[in-house]
Amino acid sequence: MKRSFLRSEILPLFHGNRSLALGIALTSLFIMAALLSFVWTPYDVTALDVSTRLTAPSTTHWFGANHLGRDVLSMTMVGARISIAVAFIAVGLGGAIGVPLGLLAAAKGGLIDDIVMRFGDLVFAFPALILAILITAVFGPSATNAIIAIGIFNIPVFARLTRSAALPIWHKPFVQAAQCAGKNLTQISAQHIFPNIRHVLIVQGTVQFALAILAEAGLSYVGLGAQPPIPSWGRMLAESQTMISTAPWLVLFPGVAIFVFVLGLNLLGDGLRHHYDPRRQRGF
Amino acid sequence: MHKFDTLKPVMVLCALAFFLLSGAAFAAAPETGALNVGVQLEPPNLDPTSGAAAAIDEIVYANVFEGLTRITEEGTAAPALAKSWTVLNDGLVYEFLLHQGIKFHDGTAFDADDVVFSLNRARAPTSSNAQRPLFEQIKTVEALTSHQVRITLHKPIGAFPVYLGWGDAVIVAPESVATNASMPVGTGPFRFQRWRKGASITLIRNENYWGDAPALDEINFVFIPDPTAAFAALFAGDVDGFPNYPAPENLALIERDPRFKILYGTSEGEMLVAINHGKAPFDNLLVRRALNHAIDKDVVIKAGLFGFGTPIGSHFPPHHPAYVDHSERYPYDPTLARKLLSEAGYPNGFSTVLTLPPPSYARRGGEIIAAQLEAVGIKVQIRNIEWAQWLDQVFKNKEYDLTIVSHTEPLDFDIYARDDYYFQYNNSDYNSLITQLQSESDETKRNSLLQEAQRILAEDAVNVFIASSPKTAIWTKTVSDVWANAPLQANDFTRTQNTGRIAVTTKDTTTAFPAFSILLLITCIAFGSVAYFGRARISFLASRFISMLMTLAAASIVIFLLIEIAPGDPAAFMMGLNADPASVSALKAELGLDRPALFRYFSWIGGLMTGDFGTSYTYRVPVSELIAERFWVSLPLAIIAFSLSTAIGIPAGLMAAARRRKPSGQIIVNAAQAGIAVPNFWLAILLVLIFAVTFRWFSAGGFPGWDVGLLPALKALLLPAIALAIPQAAILTQIMRTSMINTMHDDYVRTARAKGLNTNDALRTHALRNALIPVLTILGLQFAFLLAGSIIVENVFYLPGLGRLVFQSIAQRDLIVVKSIVMTLVFCVILVAIFVDLAYSIIDPRLRKVGTS
Repeated sequence: MKRSFLRSEILPLFHGNRSLALGIALTSLFIMAALLSFVWTPYDVTALDVSTRLTAPSTTHWFGANHLGRDVLSMTMVGARISIAVAFIAVGLGGAIGVPLGLLAAAKGGLIDDIVMRFGDLVFAFPALILAILITAVFGPSATNAIIAIGIFNIPVFARLTRSAALPIWHKPFVQAAQCAGKNLTQISAQHIFPNIRHVLIVQGTVQFALAILAEAGLSYVGLGAQPPIPSWGRMLAESQTMISTAPWLVLFPGVAIFVFVLGLNLLGDGLRHHYDPRRQRGF
Repeated sequence: MHKFDTLKPVMVLCALAFFLLSGAAFAAAPETGALNVGVQLEPPNLDPTSGAAAAIDEIVYANVFEGLTRITEEGTAAPALAKSWTVLNDGLVYEFLLHQGIKFHDGTAFDADDVVFSLNRARAPTSSNAQRPLFEQIKTVEALTSHQVRITLHKPIGAFPVYLGWGDAVIVAPESVATNASMPVGTGPFRFQRWRKGASITLIRNENYWGDAPALDEINFVFIPDPTAAFAALFAGDVDGFPNYPAPENLALIERDPRFKILYGTSEGEMLVAINHGKAPFDNLLVRRALNHAIDKDVVIKAGLFGFGTPIGSHFPPHHPAYVDHSERYPYDPTLARKLLSEAGYPNGFSTVLTLPPPSYARRGGEIIAAQLEAVGIKVQIRNIEWAQWLDQVFKNKEYDLTIVSHTEPLDFDIYARDDYYFQYNNSDYNSLITQLQSESDETKRNSLLQEAQRILAEDAVNVFIASSPKTAIWTKTVSDVWANAPLQANDFTRTQNTGRIAVTTKDTTTAFPAFSILLLITCIAFGSVAYFGRARISFLASRFISMLMTLAAASIVIFLLIEIAPGDPAAFMMGLNADPASVSALKAELGLDRPALFRYFSWIGGLMTGDFGTSYTYRVPVSELIAERFWVSLPLAIIAFSLSTAIGIPAGLMAAARRRKPSGQIIVNAAQAGIAVPNFWLAILLVLIFAVTFRWFSAGGFPGWDVGLLPALKALLLPAIALAIPQAAILTQIMRTSMINTMHDDYVRTARAKGLNTNDALRTHALRNALIPVLTILGLQFAFLLAGSIIVENVFYLPGLGRLVFQSIAQRDLIVVKSIVMTLVFCVILVAIFVDLAYSIIDPRLRKVGTS
């Protein structure tokens, strides 16, 4: 009897890798919620309903309602959008600039390598948050500037990782063979080096994504992220903090959302690392 | 010998920590004499005789300017510049006897001519006095002698001495009247000193005051419009209180805090939705009544004012004896509202704009009222504007449909009889009623007229009268003798005392803080000791030192470029959009921004080295002093958090490694995974919820200062330190575990086991030291992260550390401060990285590049 695709291809991936399964489950939960919020939320996130203001979690408002009677579940769903968007673009930006830089540094060595590495030193001298604050202080708070701030920090992360992963590959026989075949540095980097370090980058990307979610939440908590009326988890926490003694549930759910999402992404990263681990693959 | 080597970096770090902490011992002496007052609104100018804004009186009334009489807390008239007065001719003539020997702040003498000048100016046809109609009742003002004034009225005015006590009737000098708007000169106990636009106004004691000397040396009015920021400023100790606290939602929390007292008083404020009668469809009574029926006052009070308000139905305060309750004249009834709208010819409603000034009652109430009007088919567009814009567009030019505002002047029902008032309401019955009222002095007759006035305003649905809100003042317990009630919107601080704050003007500000020189010195000492004890090569150390200096230089250039060149003109940026060009160029010169960029860069760097970081634009104290003060909060916090994180993370990691195949090991791993995912500021909020709100073991925020003693200060830092430490401890656990497991598989550990050592001994003597090497990198990174990352957690706890300073500076556009804080933090990060490098060379001789020794 022919086994289904699911059972033959997908399920074995998770065999002995609970982190991957759980990570994928949690991550997709949030991505689905964010996507769903474009077409449907339990309540309108901009509408006010004073009759339900500061209601505790109940069957009608699962996560309760805030001081304007807005449904916290709906706001949390919409808040996932901005979180994911900022983190995704910021990490994408970091990767898109950092990976080529790292490949270049590994391929050329010498002065270029030095310049790329010193640039990394310089960026790392600014604690990520300070850099973000500096940028938003100068250019004004907005989601775009949060993306730029988080993105800049990701550039040297990817550049360094790419460089250190690429260097040993340059000494592999197949790369030397490609050099003999007359391929130039760009071709070798693209066709031979990059495919061999892809896994490492994906794993790191997941971890950076999780860090970016935390950074975005922190920035919007202090008012330097997405501006009202776009709901964001960080700002939901900031707004509800002054009502902590009367409506403690308001500080609970946005925080749980950040926590569970970041946990999911970290588990996904662990799972992927495990999945790509050569020592594990040898066992099969 | 080896063990001692391992301890060396720890000792260096401890010594550093001790050195830095010991600075905390040099705490300030007991403080007295100043009062920092949080007010919601920044006044458009400071001349109470030519502006309508209550925000002007809030600052200068009784403090800077005085009238012939003054209003007491009970709302009655008491003698002020006038020693006494007599009423003649059935209330038509008043004769005032003035105090003698009084001088204005600029040294000019006060006499009867100044009174004549002030009152004639107020009643002149060209007068911009907000109460001109009142002064127009005056027929003549004559100086009988230099200290006697006679005022003759057209007809008797009931409470004339009270009106003369209003802010609009204060006495000004002809010599200084032209500049009173920006530099008020009065006779009061406080002199105007400085106005930091967008930030604060400072008054200082008038040493030559004619009356009893005030208790305070200095009053700083700090403008804080945002309710969340108000709460934060209060808890962080930035202000000593708010005469009108804007965030009623926090009162429950403040009530429990032993540091504060709440004073509930009556106020003359009527919060209302003002309607522009000059614009269709609001000239239609049916539409106005529909608006009244469409708005649910109870809901607005509950959600917009957090329950702090009494519903009203007319323009009159409920605590007055003549008050009649009209609040049920237009009960909430959306169906009826729709019906009235159809009758008025708007079956499908209409579109309108609701203009909102900054106070929270307007912004929050506006959101709710907009939603309620939408429910009956009126499409509302909300427009949030600044106070100065509101005065200009709404109040002066009447360019609005609907707006929300609180009218705070006492017994100001006559505004509805004015021709040119921004409501543009016109009712001849009402006007004649007010005329009658102004000449009536019999209390019972006055009251019945007042009741009739209330009825007319309610019947005509002139505005949507929402609520009379109590005056909720919050003060720290060190403040005494402040007004609880608000008979007029003013803050009389003549008698107020505060034992909790020292005046900046009297504070010794000469202590420079040559932070960078000190830090560089520490670095040199560290390098030297490593060179001596660590037997590292000088060339290696020198190369590290040079690379540190280069990174520092590059970082300073980046900061300088970002802040001083990218956003255009920093002076214009600091002053805000509405600043006038003259003050921008003045600030430019003051900041030295007219010099070339290269010069500015080097003078900044030079200043950093010598401890002169420049002067803060908003705080007007040296930036170095600000940073030094905040550093003693942020650094101890980072050190405590770091110690906690290390104390948890390293043992947990080792345990997880040793028991990696047991359930206990797995539990640690899972806990660490969870710990990494927790946002530290959320953890901080949860800790507040549990330990401050529920158990009340800690206060919800704030920092008492080191001078109150080590224990209370440490207690205030404990929750923030835990919140910071836990995610870092989780990271450390994972890294320690991984590193240890990797080392355990190394050959030399296996050899040690084969020689007969048991697992624990083998791990301790052979594996641990090697496993610590990657951990050290993380420790260094973590300390840097904690120092910088504490800035968000500081915000949760309202700690007056570097983080709060940086955010406040950003909000106030004080880029001089931002620049130097960022540079300080970057320096610290680089410094820590260097220390880690040096520590490596001690722990791991291979990294020392000693060659053959």
